[in-house]
Amino acid sequence: MASPAAPATRKETWKEKLRRSLRGEGGVVGQERWLGVLLILPALVLLTAFFLVPLVMVGWMSLHNWPLLGRPRFIGLRNYATMLTDTGFWHALWFSAKYTIVVTIAIFAVAFPLAFFVERPRPFVGFFRTAFFLPVVLGLGSASLLWVWLSNVDFGLFSPALMKLGLIDRPVSWLMQPTSAFISIIVMVVWKASGTSIVLLLTGLQAIPPELKEAASIDGARGWQRFRYITFPLIRRTFALALILSVTHSVLAFDQFYIITAGGPDNSMLSAVYWIMNTSFVSFKLGYGAALSIALLALLVLLSIVQLYLLRTKEGQ
Amino acid sequence: MKRRTFLGAAMSAPMLSTAAWSQEPLSMWARSDVANVIRPFVDTFNAKGKTQIKLDIVVAREMVQKYAAAAAARSAPDFLLLDLIYTPAFASADQLQDLSPWTKEMPYFESLSPAHRKLGELDGKLYGLPFSAEGSVLVYNKKLFREAGLDPEKPPKNWGEITDAAVKIRALGGDRYGYYVPGAGAAAFRFLPVVWANGGEVLSADGKKATIDSPQLREAIGFYRDLWAKKVMPESVVADTGPDALTGFAAGRVGMTITGAFAIGVLTTRYPDVEFGVTPIPGKNGGFASFAGGDNIVVSRGTRRLPAIREFVDFAYSLEGQSLLGKYGSLPVRGDIAAAALKENDPRYLTVAEAVNKGGRTPRSSVYNDLFNSLNGPWVTLHQRAIFGNDVDGAIAQAQATFQRIINEAN
Repeated sequence: MASPAAPATRKETWKEKLRRSLRGEGGVVGQERWLGVLLILPALVLLTAFFLVPLVMVGWMSLHNWPLLGRPRFIGLRNYATMLTDTGFWHALWFSAKYTIVVTIAIFAVAFPLAFFVERPRPFVGFFRTAFFLPVVLGLGSASLLWVWLSNVDFGLFSPALMKLGLIDRPVSWLMQPTSAFISIIVMVVWKASGTSIVLLLTGLQAIPPELKEAASIDGARGWQRFRYITFPLIRRTFALALILSVTHSVLAFDQFYIITAGGPDNSMLSAVYWIMNTSFVSFKLGYGAALSIALLALLVLLSIVQLYLLRTKEGQ
Repeated sequence: MKRRTFLGAAMSAPMLSTAAWSQEPLSMWARSDVANVIRPFVDTFNAKGKTQIKLDIVVAREMVQKYAAAAAARSAPDFLLLDLIYTPAFASADQLQDLSPWTKEMPYFESLSPAHRKLGELDGKLYGLPFSAEGSVLVYNKKLFREAGLDPEKPPKNWGEITDAAVKIRALGGDRYGYYVPGAGAAAFRFLPVVWANGGEVLSADGKKATIDSPQLREAIGFYRDLWAKKVMPESVVADTGPDALTGFAAGRVGMTITGAFAIGVLTTRYPDVEFGVTPIPGKNGGFASFAGGDNIVVSRGTRRLPAIREFVDFAYSLEGQSLLGKYGSLPVRGDIAAAALKENDPRYLTVAEAVNKGGRTPRSSVYNDLFNSLNGPWVTLHQRAIFGNDVDGAIAQAQATFQRIINEAN
């Protein structure tokens, strides 16, 4: 509803309007709404140029038989029909799902305790916060390459170091067997990515007024109860954000599998995006790759909606 | 005012660049596999002071997608050295210029490598001219042979001798191994000749039928399974997709491996301490085969600088150009002067050249990349599963089915 506008004696300049709305005076209502639009315009331009336009192009490509080299041919929805019987893609999707579940649980199992650990002021807390976050600033590509080298059975670090420590008697090649390679990559990603979740959870935790917890303690609430009834409900939104980011990244995982094991061993780690890359740039079927991308995008949007629904904050809370 | 000046400058820019166009260096791409050869080759050409070439090295397995992207953005290089395997795909996609007019002015044309020309032909036109040849061979470390009590001047002539030598070298102990081949990649160049030398075929002559499941291929797999079971290969072979193919051999820790002429260049220039011999890849009871590879010179459809490119081609086919190839780790493509070009080079190149001439083959398939090159494709998967896994029959049956499915889908 439009609130009664203050009787204007003269027309405000846009600078005054900007200043006023930045000070938070008067809601951005009615004709002042254009100011808001103006302010988000740069973001809209970027979004249009780098997301919406490419998205429409991918959608258009997905309706074609579009070879990497050569002329595209319109084939309607046939790419989407092919998808239904493409067992390779379904396997890849299943692998991505498995990976997402395992890595997300692993990341939060590490991030929650560490976020609690660095929440309160304690000696060297700055050091710990930095140490936990530091791997995040590394590129995933560089981290993966580093991991390949560290895991090399002959001249890496892990095997020789564990042998020196007497934990194993002969070098172990983790990247050789599907299960151990999978675990190895999970460990790398947790090390590399949990920093983001830690920082997000940390900001959520720090926003909780200490009085609430004190009051709960005085009322006799124990540690778990305090977490269940005070802390968790109050960081619900932050948790949802961290969860959605983590799930999205995991569903779209590609670099680590490409770099560390090239989808192996024995093609056991072909993720959905890896399959799309292979379809587009190894088999040179850009049109079909585009259709797979659209399908994956739809799936991801659906997943995010479900998560937001499950973690919604009820009105009035 | 300012804006107008800026606009004016922007408008005059294209005219300036048109004027500068003829002096601009030619842009050329080559794949990373041949960087060792092409860099000094282009440097020598540029040093002549006439046409200049700006060379870009592209990661080998990204060549096709990079070129496609560049072609779509109208920024394709003037010409490139293309893995000859890809010449049919590029030519049939209408990306290249017909070079057959040039061939009439080349009296030596008929002596150019037949494998290259065959893959460069399409509908009576010629879209690729041979630049460099390559072939797979077995290399062995003479020092390790001697230490293991083997005669370093008598390389293995059949599978039994390879196994025997590998076991003896492994028996030296420590980190010395008898044999090495990457398990999870680069398997066309290295494993196809083992099957061929045993009389096996994996594709019908027209490329329409997969013939994976043959006694010859099963024997070849059995040969490698035996090497693996005897622990003469290091464990790291299983996960190696190719980057470490030569690492152990260059360090003097591996007795034998399959590689190409490029490795002679790498070893002699960068690892002069490794004393090695070269011999053809033998079959079970003798005979030999080689994967005939190499690069074609192909010219982008959009370029207008044919005379300058021709200058490079003529240099490449001169005795000097052909000799440079051998000098830096490749093979000449002009049969009539190959011997002269290699005369001053390492005699081991001649062994490779001979293996290619007498036993060299190249699979021709429009889906070559899917079948043989892809690290997740059926050939590499078969290699990994059948040699290092437990279910040989399952791996072979699956490879046969996947090969045929990919071929059918393409037709």
